[in-house]
Amino acid sequence: MSTWIVLRREIAHYAGSPFAYLIGFAFLFFTGLVFADELQTSAVAQTITNPAVIPSVLSLLMVFIAPLLTMRLLAEERREGTLELLLTAPVTDGAIVIGKFLGAWSYYTVLLLITLAYQIVLSVVTLPDFGHTIGAYIGIWLYGGATLAVGLFFSSLTENQIVAAFFSLITLLILWLADGAGRVIGNIDIARIVRVLSLQAHYAPSFGFGLLKMEDIAFFLGIIFIMLFLSIRALESTRWR
Amino acid sequence: MIEVEQLTKRYGTFTAVDHITFKAKKGEVVGLLGPNGAGKTTTMRMLTGFMPPTEGTASIAGYDVYDDSMEARRNVGYMPERIPVYPDMTVKAYVMFWARLRGARRPASRVDEVLQRVQLHDRRSTLIRHLSKGMRQRLGLAQALVHDPPVVILDEPTIGIDPKQVIEVRETVRRLGEQHTVLFSTHILSEAEQVCDRVLIIDKGHIIAQGKPGELRDKLQSGMTLHVQIGGANDASIRKLLESISGIAHLEKQRAGWLIKTQRGADPRAELSSRIAKVGYTLLEMRQEGASLESIFLELVGKDEDGA
Repeated sequence: MSTWIVLRREIAHYAGSPFAYLIGFAFLFFTGLVFADELQTSAVAQTITNPAVIPSVLSLLMVFIAPLLTMRLLAEERREGTLELLLTAPVTDGAIVIGKFLGAWSYYTVLLLITLAYQIVLSVVTLPDFGHTIGAYIGIWLYGGATLAVGLFFSSLTENQIVAAFFSLITLLILWLADGAGRVIGNIDIARIVRVLSLQAHYAPSFGFGLLKMEDIAFFLGIIFIMLFLSIRALESTRWR
Repeated sequence: MIEVEQLTKRYGTFTAVDHITFKAKKGEVVGLLGPNGAGKTTTMRMLTGFMPPTEGTASIAGYDVYDDSMEARRNVGYMPERIPVYPDMTVKAYVMFWARLRGARRPASRVDEVLQRVQLHDRRSTLIRHLSKGMRQRLGLAQALVHDPPVVILDEPTIGIDPKQVIEVRETVRRLGEQHTVLFSTHILSEAEQVCDRVLIIDKGHIIAQGKPGELRDKLQSGMTLHVQIGGANDASIRKLLESISGIAHLEKQRAGWLIKTQRGADPRAELSSRIAKVGYTLLEMRQEGASLESIFLELVGKDEDGA
């Protein structure tokens, strides 16, 4: 119940914030650009348009967008002092964190749903493999949730939004690059561990082709779970300082 | 309504609040009075469930603030020193948010009621970023009262607002005492004197005195302060005369007349006037200066400083 109240306030914030619209604009602009390019390329080359092109570009885009969408979530509450009121309201710390997370994830979900318009365009031009599309969208939805959870965690640690955004960007970039790093690292065991943590390695080879693999679903849900848990702990630690 | 027993908060080796004990009854307005850094805010933060105590217990409306934190929090309204706001929300949406979060019954009508009460009803659609400092202060009060809590805790409610608004806020706090138990902190003594039923003077984490403002003054006043003006003789002979009177602790020549501090319990006024008449001087003026809580406070806090 209180999670829902926090979530509602977050949604109202995203709906009324010019900055959120700006991010939404960038989100749709870049996905649109890539989609148009893909459409044109496949038309000229007479190949089949990749139905997962938008989710695939989002797997990079979210590395930059997630920190921007989440940096204010808890950092702003801390700076404005509203955190003190939240922590004295009859609400558990978990409800606050989960409400905040679901708020960000909802906004991302809305943006993602808007990109389905491209899929409609595509189905007019050609007959896409809907299974492929749906698999990739489910994948990128979970993938986005995981990146937002990482952003939320860094927002819970500081009252400075820039610092929060910076650290989540660095972390996500490392996780994104881990796939490539895994390929060039000589030691096979280290390479394996690095690749296990890679965002790309859990998206591109499975969801990217429309495949739903249990371990990849578990990976993204696991990141969300761990990051939310750590954020709750970070919030709790405020009480002991 | 508020029961605090041996409440203690330590930060590492620093003890911010040191074994304080007090009670506040239903409908009582209790002032926490002390200099900055005395432990007022820390005490309030423990009572509101923001931070757990290191030692000791506290309860709000019978619910322990640690063991039964959620129930305790439901029964308290809190206004921190710096009013926390969401600048992008409207006044109404902001109060509504806290009403819902704190589980107010019939939140919509409660919000209307409380906005009328703090005179922000005509501003209900204004974005908070456009509110003046005084209005924000009233908004802070609105969010603390919206769930109609039996206990209201206000941290320095009159800080940083203009004198006219200060008077309004004091009046509001006074009236809150009719329905709520109020604990409020201040470092302004006259404020505590005007508003509180009871004052707790707190310094360096200890309660160093407590009681009704009037009682405190009587109890702690060390002696009388008299101002006398005597004619008909030069300063030296007047000084000689005054020094011969028993019960005077301190004598000081001022621009017009003399300032006399008496020893505790001594009343040399009768002796003073008869002796002056006897030697043929004229007593032009004699008045007793009522010691304010302010001087008592400074004495108490200052004493502690000397001892340290």
